[in-house]
Amino acid sequence: MSSRQCKNCGCADIDVDQARGDAVCMGCGSVLEDNIIVSEVQFVETGGGGSAAVGQFVSADGSAKAISLGTGFHAGMERVSRAQTLQNGRRQINHLGHQLQLNQHCLDTAFNFFKMAVSKRLTRGRKSLHVVAACLYMVCRTEGTPHMLLDLSDLLQVNVYVLGRTFLVLARELCINAPAIDPCLYIPRFAHLLEFGEKNHEVSMTALRLLQRMKRDWMHTGRRPSGLCGAALLVAARMHEFRRTVKEVIGVVKVCEATLRKRLTEFEETPTSQLTIDEFMKVDLEQECDPPSFTAGQRKLKMQEIEQQLAKKIDEVQGEICCYQDEIENELENSRPKGRGMYASYSKDDSQDDAKSMTQSQFGEEDLEDEELEEAADHLNKVLYSDGLPRPPEKGEDEPVPPRHPSLASLLGPLPTAASLGLSESIKECIDMKRDDDVTSENGDLDLNGIDDDEIERYLLNDKEVQIKTELWMRQNADYLQEQKEKEARIAKEKELGIYKEVKPRKPSKKREPICANTAGEAIEKMLEQKRISTKINYDVLRDLDMKGSSPARQPEEPQNSPGAARRPSARRRLTDSSPRLASAVGIMGKRLRPLISTQPSKKLAIDQAALSGSPAEPSDQSQPVLVESGPVVYEEVAAEEDEEEEEPCVSAMALMGDSEYGCEVDYDDGF
Amino acid sequence: MSAFAFFFSSLPQKVLMKLRKPKITASIWSSGKIICTGATSEEEAKYGARRLARCLQKLGFKVKFTDFKVVNVLAVCSMPFQIHLIEFTKSNRPIASYEPELHPAATYRIKSLRATVQIFSTGSITVTGPNVQQVATAVEQIYPLLFECRKIPR
Repeated sequence: MSSRQCKNCGCADIDVDQARGDAVCMGCGSVLEDNIIVSEVQFVETGGGGSAAVGQFVSADGSAKAISLGTGFHAGMERVSRAQTLQNGRRQINHLGHQLQLNQHCLDTAFNFFKMAVSKRLTRGRKSLHVVAACLYMVCRTEGTPHMLLDLSDLLQVNVYVLGRTFLVLARELCINAPAIDPCLYIPRFAHLLEFGEKNHEVSMTALRLLQRMKRDWMHTGRRPSGLCGAALLVAARMHEFRRTVKEVIGVVKVCEATLRKRLTEFEETPTSQLTIDEFMKVDLEQECDPPSFTAGQRKLKMQEIEQQLAKKIDEVQGEICCYQDEIENELENSRPKGRGMYASYSKDDSQDDAKSMTQSQFGEEDLEDEELEEAADHLNKVLYSDGLPRPPEKGEDEPVPPRHPSLASLLGPLPTAASLGLSESIKECIDMKRDDDVTSENGDLDLNGIDDDEIERYLLNDKEVQIKTELWMRQNADYLQEQKEKEARIAKEKELGIYKEVKPRKPSKKREPICANTAGEAIEKMLEQKRISTKINYDVLRDLDMKGSSPARQPEEPQNSPGAARRPSARRRLTDSSPRLASAVGIMGKRLRPLISTQPSKKLAIDQAALSGSPAEPSDQSQPVLVESGPVVYEEVAAEEDEEEEEPCVSAMALMGDSEYGCEVDYDDGF
Repeated sequence: MSAFAFFFSSLPQKVLMKLRKPKITASIWSSGKIICTGATSEEEAKYGARRLARCLQKLGFKVKFTDFKVVNVLAVCSMPFQIHLIEFTKSNRPIASYEPELHPAATYRIKSLRATVQIFSTGSITVTGPNVQQVATAVEQIYPLLFECRKIPR
């Protein structure tokens, strides 16, 4: 043992008795330590005269009966809970495992998985039954037993996908790589269920061969292994002249009829199906097939290609037809008598306009600028032609030229401005659009660019339609509305009766900040502020404990304290329990101020004031020993009042003194 | 041409609204949040969402178009070869997972991109990720892995 100094006399000679668990000072005889934990083996005498060691074997995880180590030992409590979880898990695993006819080794492995899952906190937020099932399934996969996830979900009446999700999460977290499912594993199980009697083995072998063939033909990727098994078994049974209908097989294998038929048809398409039974048993075809879904996809692609080709051909044909049309038209035109200048110009005008409109439609709405330009161009053209109209071109080109100049000038006058306006507008719009984009990201206002309001107006229903729709919806959802009404009625009733409990979502418990303080005293102060203070505390003693050396004013108290010390072992013990709180009260109260001890419960205020004041220390000191004897009740009151004191500002000493003295005397008289 | 359909699903408190022009389906929640799905590009999604907001504005609701964010992108692509899923799963053990009992595809999660790739034996794959860029990167990343486990066509 490390040599320590005795606190009372300072002597370093300490006797530690391992057997009794004491540490006693040899100088003054004070007991320094009590109840040291000893690690010794004790023996007791058993009935027959032999001796046995005292104690129990406890496993590392505490899975056996957990020993309660006393109130407040937190780790112990957690162990108990953990032990219970594991116990529960074990029970459930055993229950399920027996139903699945798993052997003990598998069950133990499953339990190990479960333990791992619990330690990794994977059971939180999940139904323990799901986790248990996932552990069992994991064992099945790793051991290669013919159990399907479907079996487990049947037992538990849980959706297989929910179990699957849990299983995947578990496998990922525990880093357990379950080997892929081989449909061959299921064959013996299903064959047994189909009752082939003596030929069971042969049929199984045939089915296995079939399965392997299917694998080679790529029928098994992405498919439920049970479906493949079913198909293989059916064919094998037929091969050995057993009459097993599709329905029987379905009942055993747990897939639906459509799936089975589909597998059979797929198998039919493979070249293997063309072999006779004997050939199949002997020969193994080398060729491998593509997976059936792939061939289906290929077929689709082919269909599409064919359609495309057809479309092209149609286009070509159409194109040809168009050509013919054009040629015919041209011929007709040529044969038609050519119109006079006016009409010719009109017709040309139209065709040009048409061309422009076509080009416009091609460009679409985006090229505003182009549109504007083209409009301008149209306008130009029209004006030109209209100008040109009254003058028949018979006159020749000379004449149109001069009138064109002024017309051009007149045209060019307004046009460029319009065009320029149009252009600038569009440019402005572009800039605005960009700005708007920025703005929307900041403001949250809606950017209306590109949104056609009219179209949206059309979307909204008018009043009559709204009525009809409301009626329809009400009728459709009548049940739900009924439920809501009932619920509200119920809540209203409960509120009246005062029973109503609002189901509030659990708010996370407020985490208190850890108190950081420089000294123990400070820490105690802060803690006292935070926590509510108990009334069963002897604050004075606490004060003394904490502030012994600090204030000289207190020194006269000390000698008084020491004779009182003997009387106060009980008080002190209570103090040690709640010492932090007392010390805080002391600390807050004032290192400057004389601590005062309470008098009577009735005059609480007086007591407070008495405590705060400094000079009435003496009368109170005198009363101290008396108060000590009167017992804890007094101190309790002090404690409670001192709490209030902390908040109160300093009161004048005179007032305090005057009041307190009076109060003290009265009480004193009353008391004695 | 501009038909929509409203669906009220009473259990989750939302309304479904379908637009035709950018072909989108929007779920509108009573809190004001709107989830818009079905657009073919990020731009289109934003456009559709704006139209929706405009529509609501016309109905008289006070609309604020804030925090538009593309949350999930789903892409489909097809390899010119078939893939042997079991081999693929074996070679990419913890990252890839294949449960034929549950789903015919093998799932491969790329943590760095936060993308998930589902691989089918026919060679077609679907990729989901937080945005278009990452989805494209995911496809590039996974291609060599798939190439190794391809089934050699005859």
